[in-house]
Amino acid sequence: MKRLKLRDLPAVALVYLSGALVVLVIVAIFYYLAHEARYAFDRPFPYGYRFSLQSPILEPDPYTGQVLDDLTVDPNATLLAANFEGDDGIDEKEEGAPMATLEELEGYHPFGTGSAVIDSLDDLNPQELFRDNWKQAKDATKGDRFILFAFATQEYTQPTMKLAFQPDAAFSPKDCPFDIKLRVIRTPNGIEVEPVEIDLIQNPSGKIELPTWIAKSDEERTNGYVFEMVVTPKKSNFTATIAGFFKTDWAPTLQYPRYGFVPLLLSTMLMALLALAIAVPIGLACSTYLAEIAPARIREWLKPIIEMLASIPTVVLGYFGLMIVAPSVVKVFSQAIGMTSGRSFLTASLVLAFLLLPTVISIGEDALRAVPSSFRDGASALGFTAKETIKKVVLPAARAGVVATVLLGFARAIGETMIIWILSGGTAVMPSIDPVKTLAGPTRGMTDTIAIEMGNVEFEGPHYGHLFMIGLTLFLITLAINLIGYAYGRKRKWLAS
Amino acid sequence: MASVIGDRIPSRAKLAARDARRKLNSRLFEVWLWSMGVLITLAILAVIVTIVIKGLPAMNWEFLSTGPKEGMKEGGIWPMLRGSILLMIGTLLIVLPVGVFGGVFLAEYAGTSRLVTLVRACVVALAGTPSVIYGLFGLAVFVLLITKHTSLIAGCLTLAMFALPVIVLTTESAIKAVPESFVEAGVSLGMSKWQVIRKVILPAALPGIVTGLVLSTGRAAGEAPPILFTAGIYYSTAKLTFDLEMFKKPVANLPYHLAEGYRQGSVIPEKIIWGTCLTLMLLVLLINLAAIIVRARARKRQVW
Repeated sequence: MKRLKLRDLPAVALVYLSGALVVLVIVAIFYYLAHEARYAFDRPFPYGYRFSLQSPILEPDPYTGQVLDDLTVDPNATLLAANFEGDDGIDEKEEGAPMATLEELEGYHPFGTGSAVIDSLDDLNPQELFRDNWKQAKDATKGDRFILFAFATQEYTQPTMKLAFQPDAAFSPKDCPFDIKLRVIRTPNGIEVEPVEIDLIQNPSGKIELPTWIAKSDEERTNGYVFEMVVTPKKSNFTATIAGFFKTDWAPTLQYPRYGFVPLLLSTMLMALLALAIAVPIGLACSTYLAEIAPARIREWLKPIIEMLASIPTVVLGYFGLMIVAPSVVKVFSQAIGMTSGRSFLTASLVLAFLLLPTVISIGEDALRAVPSSFRDGASALGFTAKETIKKVVLPAARAGVVATVLLGFARAIGETMIIWILSGGTAVMPSIDPVKTLAGPTRGMTDTIAIEMGNVEFEGPHYGHLFMIGLTLFLITLAINLIGYAYGRKRKWLAS
Repeated sequence: MASVIGDRIPSRAKLAARDARRKLNSRLFEVWLWSMGVLITLAILAVIVTIVIKGLPAMNWEFLSTGPKEGMKEGGIWPMLRGSILLMIGTLLIVLPVGVFGGVFLAEYAGTSRLVTLVRACVVALAGTPSVIYGLFGLAVFVLLITKHTSLIAGCLTLAMFALPVIVLTTESAIKAVPESFVEAGVSLGMSKWQVIRKVILPAALPGIVTGLVLSTGRAAGEAPPILFTAGIYYSTAKLTFDLEMFKKPVANLPYHLAEGYRQGSVIPEKIIWGTCLTLMLLVLLINLAAIIVRARARKRQVW
């Protein structure tokens, strides 16, 4: 054959270009997923503690009769915090509530706490005292320092008072990449206390008992006890982000967001496995029928019908599951295992199994058809029955193909989005050890988390970056499974010897 | 002695009984496989028939040809149907040259070196990559990097990427199915390699290529995740236009409408949802049917 004519050159170049483009696509997907995932590593790690003075004898609230111990609802508690997403911080632009004056506290509360945006006590400006202090977002490699003033008013009569502290709202000190310590840096004139230094990571909440000190005028508010909260970085942003990614709590919209994707990964895997456990036996039986037993005429009828299922859009199947399958699942299982909603792990897996059937059947049939017919001839020459031929000759020969079927089906199952979105119930929880609870309860996978949350996320922020991290993980998992499945599918055992 | 032989070799009656048992056993096994095949087929038919029956009450010309009314409580789905058709045509136009040339490359130019095996494996792996990954890629590249906002063209590009690997593979196998004798005949007439491909191989492989193209474009048109972040818009009262500006705007389409409708809660009445589901299913099924007919007619004319 003549290799190349000059006027063919443009066309041939186009062919090579297309080949290169196909390869480029895979590199590009990997590159851009990783490129966007880097926004996850820009994440500021927010932290925050509340501080308030209390009497050693806590009195019950006159209205509710409850002892107010939760500082996050205490209107007088001081919040020292930093790194909130979207907040500029009191030290930059935003206005903070001023520190309570004695007049404001009179007849209402016998204690006051406050903070100031200063680095050293010498810079103290009496006009700029705030109740709270939150600082602008910073990289996790940068620490911070907060000042805390504490005083009692003349209404207070006990000899001692307590400084109570606790983490703010949903802040979880365990996952925090900082070392946070609380120290007394100045005591009022005439009062001596043992040096106090508390590790707020190890002991996130507690109380320190101190001798009472009373501020007699507004100027004296800063002369009493002065504490400092010192925040020093423990890990780099990168390791902290990775460590946070492998935690078991997915709550990205909280003020102190948590991006642990393990529950999503596990749910996806388990749903796919359950779906496979249902679809593979049925599907392989069907493909064995089609490949080995069915007469050509019946096959010609069955194949298009099965292929038809492959072409039903998954969003339609999802709605079908929601409006037909889910109610019947509830009807069947509500008594038995106490199921309350049809949108559950079980429903999602059932519809997913149905979706997998055409994939399993067609790959499985190809695997069986690839076994040379001489094998079957040999088996029938030995007087094997159809069952013996299939079980002892064809299936063992096609073992690699069957493995490929399972692997490719698995990849298809973990990548499915709409069915899981519509049917899984959408709650990110760790799968429970108790199988009944897991099956009956809601769940959430990786794909639907991406699809649901990408719709209302701030672009190029940490949440966005974490969704791309999940996407990258999913891409790498399916890529690996598909490549292994492809390698298995090409294996021809009978060609080896 | 006779008793010893009798112990070793089963009697004729025993052998016959065992054979009968084996035959029965095998028969039962066949029945079991048959029942699985029938069960699956019936289940699939049941699902399709259910969707058709539930969707039919909503179906009429008005439903297909008008837009939603009263905040989607009433009215039709024409804007979404139109969007889906536009997305499909755009996808087909983009994917057609790249996919077919890529298939030709794999089948005729790539050879069998290790590198090429890797390339082929990559294409197979891409074909099995979840559609939501393409959606993320489309968002990162076509939306945020290039056009800066969701648009019809970004959706077409994303769907084209999604459909590309399957088209490359079907094109390759269609080309490989052309008998070697055709090529030899072409070569013996003094044709260059590209002439053989263009004048001999491609015409012979055309039905297979067209089938693959149409099937995977149809599948792409029904897929929601790739267009969720790249092309969709939920409820727009903007006037529909047919011009170049259209490509720069996001477009309402059927899968997005269903997905977003679910996200927003039960705004759309059930009847309209079933009607929308049926329309989307029929859209894809009719395309597939067309492809199957093309393939069947081509097979009848096939001379080899």
